[in-house]
Amino acid sequence: MKKECIAMLLAGGQGSRLYVLTGDMAKPAVPFGGKYRIIDFPLSNCSNSGIDTVGVLTQYRPLELNSYIGSGQPWDLDGSTGGVHILPPYMGSSGGTWYKGTANAIYQNIGFIDLYDPEYVVILSGDHIYKMDYSDMVRRHKEAGAACTISVMEVPWAEAPRFGIMSVDGEDMITEFAEKPKEPKSNLASMGIYVFSWQTLRRYLTEDEADPHSDNDFGKNVIPAMLQSGERMAAYRFAGYWKDVGTLESLWDANMDMLSPESGLDLLDEAWPIYARSVNAPPAFLADTARVTHSAINRGSVFLGTVENSVISPGVTVGEGARVSYSVVLPGTVIESGAVVEYAILGEGCRIGANAQVGCAPQGADPDTWGLTVLAPGCPVADGRTIPAGTMLDRSGEEVTK
Amino acid sequence: MKGLHGIIFSYKQRSDLRELGEVRCPSSVPFGGRYRAVDFALSNLVNAGVKDVGVVTHGRYQSLLDHLGTGKDWDLSRKRGGLHILPPFNEQSGWSASPFRGKIEALASVRSYLDTIRQDHIALMDGDLVVNLPLGEIFEEHLRTGADVTIVCGNDSFATEDGTYFELDGQRRVREVLFHLHTPRGYRGLEVYILSTQFLKDLVDECTGKDQFSWRRDVLQARKDELYLHAYVWDGFAAQIRSVREYYDRSMQLLDPAIREELFTLRHPIRAKGTDKSSTYIGAEGRCVNSLIADGCRIEGTVENSILFPGVTVEAGAVVRGCVLFKEAAVRRGAELAYIIADKNVEVLSGRTLMGHAAYPIVLAKDSIV
Repeated sequence: MKKECIAMLLAGGQGSRLYVLTGDMAKPAVPFGGKYRIIDFPLSNCSNSGIDTVGVLTQYRPLELNSYIGSGQPWDLDGSTGGVHILPPYMGSSGGTWYKGTANAIYQNIGFIDLYDPEYVVILSGDHIYKMDYSDMVRRHKEAGAACTISVMEVPWAEAPRFGIMSVDGEDMITEFAEKPKEPKSNLASMGIYVFSWQTLRRYLTEDEADPHSDNDFGKNVIPAMLQSGERMAAYRFAGYWKDVGTLESLWDANMDMLSPESGLDLLDEAWPIYARSVNAPPAFLADTARVTHSAINRGSVFLGTVENSVISPGVTVGEGARVSYSVVLPGTVIESGAVVEYAILGEGCRIGANAQVGCAPQGADPDTWGLTVLAPGCPVADGRTIPAGTMLDRSGEEVTK
Repeated sequence: MKGLHGIIFSYKQRSDLRELGEVRCPSSVPFGGRYRAVDFALSNLVNAGVKDVGVVTHGRYQSLLDHLGTGKDWDLSRKRGGLHILPPFNEQSGWSASPFRGKIEALASVRSYLDTIRQDHIALMDGDLVVNLPLGEIFEEHLRTGADVTIVCGNDSFATEDGTYFELDGQRRVREVLFHLHTPRGYRGLEVYILSTQFLKDLVDECTGKDQFSWRRDVLQARKDELYLHAYVWDGFAAQIRSVREYYDRSMQLLDPAIREELFTLRHPIRAKGTDKSSTYIGAEGRCVNSLIADGCRIEGTVENSILFPGVTVEAGAVVRGCVLFKEAAVRRGAELAYIIADKNVEVLSGRTLMGHAAYPIVLAKDSIV
């Protein structure tokens, strides 16, 4: 089945910088923004952009991600000629290996892509929160006659050294690429979203694979090789909301951004819906004693206490006299009466005992040791226990260090 | 094969539903913040292991078709069996023009469908019944007692529009079948019946031959002595959505945690069509208490003792008390609503005040702007 354009979604990240929060999940399966998981964003963007064939490359702890994606129906990606396909590493007649790098992951699935014989392949990563029309980026790619188009956004100059930085000419064609430069020549950062002309990419992937010294990575190897060979490389400027949620702090920030549409992340806007596989539960109930302000809430939750400046996932219980502020609470967690949760990320299915204290506000805390408090999925906190700010607990409630 | 087949009757039009029933049949009236009435019958059947369900409809069924789709939300989109929607196709003179006069007539109109039923037993249900029945247990009891028909009753004589009532003896055998009562007595029938497929087909054929169309009059009442009619009495919550008053009172009962716990128990969940909405946002000045709130709402004002469906907006300074607001309703800045049922896409403009009463809630018709 010939397709003009298909997408490949790199979802194999271990999420090691999310530490205990991922539990048994791959990073893209981590819940975000109340009812979503991170992978809902690229999948919904594909669906809304008219891309009906998506390969999802997974390798670490894929069970939860695989069952979440299922047939792809929630994202309308269950068509009969395309749809969403989970692509784990596999053994061939001459053996097989783990995905060694982002480029190797695509290399190992050349056979899958060739099935659709596409003109263009969009490469996406599974840890970004943004709304983007990939068809507009493909249009830019075609108009520029490029072999590769990279989406970029302007970042503050001070932050530029954290990113892959592109230098461009007057027509926004890329002249130079520097990975995390100490002295950036530009403030256009790569967002890790690429459009390639497939036959050209196929050739570079094969060459890259033949090089034993390569890390088989797009940013480190394939993009620089293409630039060096003089391929036409276009930049595609993106101005909307985009955030890499690969760290606990950025994940927390992005959740808080959701509460303020001024941040640019307006999920209530239905012009570009983000789809999710949702749980079956009755609407949220707010009791007479509930006081919920500047917060996002979801179905299946019951509120008897106070919630402020927080994002609450489905199926959460906040007991009477309990208070949750500036926190992200993942699905099914129970906060017993009188407990206080501040500046924390609580994993799925945690139980916070009565009158426990989890985390605290930065005001009045020691700025050197203060940080978000993070609990692994299923972590129990005994009644009355105090978990200081900046602490991480694993699923048995033991403290772990970063 | 052994097992239970489901037939849901969804053909009645109820004028007492006023504006709520103008655009839809009672089965597709929204209820409980994210459900439609028919979700309960469908979920009850599916939770009892029923794989095949037919829905008999007649008129105003666009909204119902839209809601049911292929049936996949109830796992009823199957290669064999699954959900079948049954508009009147076995037409005899005049049937398609006027609503069915009774269940027998409704079944006669889909008579050829009855021959395709694989299972040896059938559960008949009404699409306007809001309940979480253990149908599997009721079916077992039906087989155990050897009854001709098992009739599910509520444990009350609550007056419901056009209700059927049953008087029972000590063994729960039906002794009297009553309807059109000024003051209801006996046990309130929930219009849930279990009987064998062959027996149902025989009844339909025999009644049709005598120009009899009413299940409760021509079968239950007329043959109560010759048939073994056994009653199963359900003690829990069971609402029949037949009038605005009943709709409102039953909705407000959902604010009681014990009733929600029973109706929405996770052991037999009520399944509903999903909506692709974001989380609900409650603003810094928002105040929302003793209310059920679905996804995708935006609440900057005050909401008390109310039920909000997905995507409802309550702007700053607006006050909503004792209301049921359907999907996408919007209450603009400073407006005040009390005891209102607002249908889909209703918009109440800034500063308007509308007051109903608990005994007479005002219904705002779909898409109206106040």
